[in-house]
Amino acid sequence: MQASGTKLALGIYTTLFLVFLYGPMVVLAILSFQTGPEGGPQFPIIEWSTYWYKHLFGLTPPTRIAPLPIEEALVRSLLLAVMTMIVSTVLGVTSAQAFRKKFTGSGFAFYLIVLGMMVPGVLVGLGMALVANALGVDRHWWGTTFVLHVVYTYPFAFLVMLAILNRFDQNVEEASWSLGVSPVKTFRKVTFPLIFPGVLSAMLFAFTLSYDEFSRTLFASGRDLTLPLAIYGTFSVEVHPNVFAFGVLTTLFSFALLGTYAALMMLSIRRARRVAIQEEA
Amino acid sequence: MAMTAATAEPVSADRPARKMADKTLWLLAPGVIWMVLFLVVPILMMVYVSFWTQTTFAITPTLTIKSWVTFFSSDTYLSALWTTIRIWLIVLAATLIIGYPAALFVGLFVRNKTLQTVLLVLCVIPFWTSFLIRVLAWRPMLGKEGAINLILQGVGLINKPIEVLLFSELSVIIGMTQIYCVFMVGPIAFMMGRIDQSVIEAAQDLGAGFWRIFRTIILPLSMPGVVVGAIFVSVMVLGEFATSAALSGRKVNLLGNIIVTQVGSLKWAFAAVAGVVLTILMGIVVAALLRVVDLRKEL
Repeated sequence: MQASGTKLALGIYTTLFLVFLYGPMVVLAILSFQTGPEGGPQFPIIEWSTYWYKHLFGLTPPTRIAPLPIEEALVRSLLLAVMTMIVSTVLGVTSAQAFRKKFTGSGFAFYLIVLGMMVPGVLVGLGMALVANALGVDRHWWGTTFVLHVVYTYPFAFLVMLAILNRFDQNVEEASWSLGVSPVKTFRKVTFPLIFPGVLSAMLFAFTLSYDEFSRTLFASGRDLTLPLAIYGTFSVEVHPNVFAFGVLTTLFSFALLGTYAALMMLSIRRARRVAIQEEA
Repeated sequence: MAMTAATAEPVSADRPARKMADKTLWLLAPGVIWMVLFLVVPILMMVYVSFWTQTTFAITPTLTIKSWVTFFSSDTYLSALWTTIRIWLIVLAATLIIGYPAALFVGLFVRNKTLQTVLLVLCVIPFWTSFLIRVLAWRPMLGKEGAINLILQGVGLINKPIEVLLFSELSVIIGMTQIYCVFMVGPIAFMMGRIDQSVIEAAQDLGAGFWRIFRTIILPLSMPGVVVGAIFVSVMVLGEFATSAALSGRKVNLLGNIIVTQVGSLKWAFAAVAGVVLTILMGIVVAALLRVVDLRKEL
């Protein structure tokens, strides 16, 4: 498109759009440096301080503002995210492998799996709670919540793997088999390195989606809170800047994950390129 | 097994085929079983429980339509249903209107692939922060002493703070629009990126102005993206309750909020009815959107 006036206008618009997307987070980050314990969650900043970050870690003298109950919740959320990540990635890889062959009922299976990411958390969460009640099973984050998290993240892993396997030249595997290499070794030496970027993406999706998952967790977990549930608990009471400080830290953690993913991805691409060059030489 | 070399040929060709089918089954079974047990069964259970008998503190599996009658004769529930539909329509329109120009710019006007990727990544990055924190971030923006009121007062546009910004239906709409906008931008930008540039150039050479090109080429070709985006946004907004809980000060009750409160007071049958109503509503919306554009043909 070469309409320069329109292009300029749309460019300015898109910049404003990005400000709209990022504005609240930036304001929240600024306010997390409000002084404490008397400073409230609004402007003006009375004095810049890291009080609320210390408050988060219990490093401040006790005041009427209770510290966020995040310590155990953090451990639970991380464990839950790792469990979800492993199971949904394994399920995603195996199901996507199955879809490499045309089979009857493939359309049905596909929609059944993808349904998991489309159905809102309120509905599955409520349904799971009802099933648990009917069976007399206690609801726990490592039980009912965990299976629902997999229902949610496994479709993402599946779709990522499907996209990777669609582009994947099957002849490479067949060449390996016909040279007498065992299927297990072929998977380890040929298939896996080729699908590794997909596996990594699937793991990233599953981990972050589970770590942040909230609506399914609300209904399906029992008394023990996960991190999002602990934050949700603060919604009903007065908000203090300690929640903002926590928001900044958890955002940084997510970015660290994203950075690790990008680094691993880069390494894998570079290795693939090196192998390609060796083969050419 | 006495077999000559000649007859061995077709048998060995047949066996791998069946082995392959077995393999597919084994690979597929775990995922499908998981989804049936933990997705299909809970949803069916919800439908079933909506016909159970609700007493003050418990439910008994005696079938009745009493909960349904209560739902549709109660002003609270009906107004929640109406609020859900209203907020869904407003947010859907808002995400489309706000997101479309951005998608147009990123998908069609930015020709530099690197810049395009950077812009798309910038749109997605907020998703790496917690959903609840993003909702909460609107409180210091919209409050009476919030950033927007401070800026507007500082510029001199208003004398006293606009109070309706926070803890109102408006704040819920603003919050949801910001959070779900990207699900509209992504699919539309994707479809824009696939538009053949030479078609637009040909139209320009033939003397068509921007609006004509937009109406006759860009808009129709981007429709599948709009539909996919609309499905994403609709499903998420209809199933919402956290944004209204955080930003409306309990003034806005969506069907999702009704479910949460009913579960909180152990009224499982009522919660199930609200859940089924929500499911049906979502089904109608998605089916209607799929009617607009035949996705299978377009994608």
